[in-house]
Amino acid sequence: MRSRHVALFLAPSLLLMAAVFLVPLGQMAATSVDGAALSARAYEELAASTLFRRVLANTFEISLGSMLATLLLGYPIAYHLSRVPPARRAIYMVMVLLPFWTSILVKSFAFTVILGEQGIVNSLLRFAFGPTAALPLLFNRTGAIVGMVHYLLPFMVFPILVSLLAQGSDLHKAARVMGAGRTRIFLRVTLPLSLPGVLAGCVMTLVLSLGSFVTPELLGGRKDLMMANLVDFYTRVSLDWGVSSAIAVILLVLTGMLIVALARLPGEHKLI
Amino acid sequence: MPRQSLLTIAAAWACYAFLIAPSLIVIPMSFNNSSELIFPPTTFSLRLYREFVGGADWMSATRQSFLVASLTTAVSVAVGIPAAYALARADFPGRRLLGMVLLAPMLVPTIAVALGLYLYFSSLGLSGSTLALVLGHSILTVPFVMVIAMASLRHIDANLEVAAKVMGAGQMTVFRRVVLPLLAPAAVAGALFAFLISFDEVVVAWFVSGIGTATLPVKMYSAIHWEVSPVLPVVSTLLTGLSLVVCTAGAALQKKDRADG
Repeated sequence: MRSRHVALFLAPSLLLMAAVFLVPLGQMAATSVDGAALSARAYEELAASTLFRRVLANTFEISLGSMLATLLLGYPIAYHLSRVPPARRAIYMVMVLLPFWTSILVKSFAFTVILGEQGIVNSLLRFAFGPTAALPLLFNRTGAIVGMVHYLLPFMVFPILVSLLAQGSDLHKAARVMGAGRTRIFLRVTLPLSLPGVLAGCVMTLVLSLGSFVTPELLGGRKDLMMANLVDFYTRVSLDWGVSSAIAVILLVLTGMLIVALARLPGEHKLI
Repeated sequence: MPRQSLLTIAAAWACYAFLIAPSLIVIPMSFNNSSELIFPPTTFSLRLYREFVGGADWMSATRQSFLVASLTTAVSVAVGIPAAYALARADFPGRRLLGMVLLAPMLVPTIAVALGLYLYFSSLGLSGSTLALVLGHSILTVPFVMVIAMASLRHIDANLEVAAKVMGAGQMTVFRRVVLPLLAPAAVAGALFAFLISFDEVVVAWFVSGIGTATLPVKMYSAIHWEVSPVLPVVSTLLTGLSLVVCTAGAALQKKDRADG
């Protein structure tokens, strides 16, 4: 292909990305330092703010908690998918893909019905253990994490599934012939070989959860903000665009570092 | 293949149930005969659907979402397909870096993109416009269209293009007459996913839309957040149906594509 044609094919996409992605992010970074003034005012305010420190801690606690819970639920799914015959796998896969393509608002709304004071879970609890058995599951950290785990699960399942399917069954046969039991095979062969997928899934879910906005806003505690919710607060309520930009820049740097770490992982789990 | 123990199967099924439960419970709720949001509903009717169709603000938000998603789909296919072709077939310095820039919006936190666009469109005097929504959604959907098209191009024999060139076709003719027809299933799949992503997108729309240009997800977001409207199960059911249709059609197209190629 001649370079003239390459340029012609790429020009529209590059123009769009430059004008609607790179320039806006650049403007945001500039806003965070007050443009040409290069002032560190917004960052100094954040460094001194107890609210920001609490939100930063919340963000990491909720994200790490969600990541671990997602791993605990995602691994059995990936393991099950890797062990069923390919024709049946496609059917099970729908159950992972449908939530992946379902609007986050639909899921959030459904969880308000499932987890609420009069919700399905609490009705079942009252039915089973008497009228005082209800648990606070919504508008607190539990609600936020349940919603996040649901949103993150496909991103954990896919990389683990890839690393489980790449193992081939010869290794397991060999281990069995040598006398290893099922648990031993899992712990000594399957699990260690799937660790690159686990790691890729963990980094991916962490990246996504650090920036999540809708789930903590709709299912989480009203005072249990995450970074993205604070960005919204400073943009719309305080109208302090310098501070909201600074928070977004910090979030961008944090996730950027994680993505670079992910790209350096060994193996075929590269995203790009 | 070793058989799985009952315990792992039970654990997997519990996880599947957790995954699909939210999508499933909204459907019976939407046929509830009362405005109370309860599950399971006691009597059934289409009352909430009538309420949704009769609600002027819900209808205008739905129309706006259709408009934005359609325009976004057109832009992302027109922009993404040629770019995917160039990245898949041409070799030039900086190709990997360029590919990364074009796919970056998939990995950058949406809230950062949304705030950047909010500031940018405000300074251009475009905030609250449909144009701003379409452009903002396009950068999120172009990477998806590109990834799907590039995967398909890997299965399309590049020798067909060489043959066309040997027979005297110019690069543009090759693209139009050879590549595009072969890429059509992938382009349609990409278009479907682009439409769905834009139709469901809420964070960028929340920051960029204005009072007259609020999309369905923006209206839904405020309805869940502040008013808890009785038509929410209806909107949820319709959105789930749309996801199901797009997801199945897109997967079928991609599968057919693999089989043909």
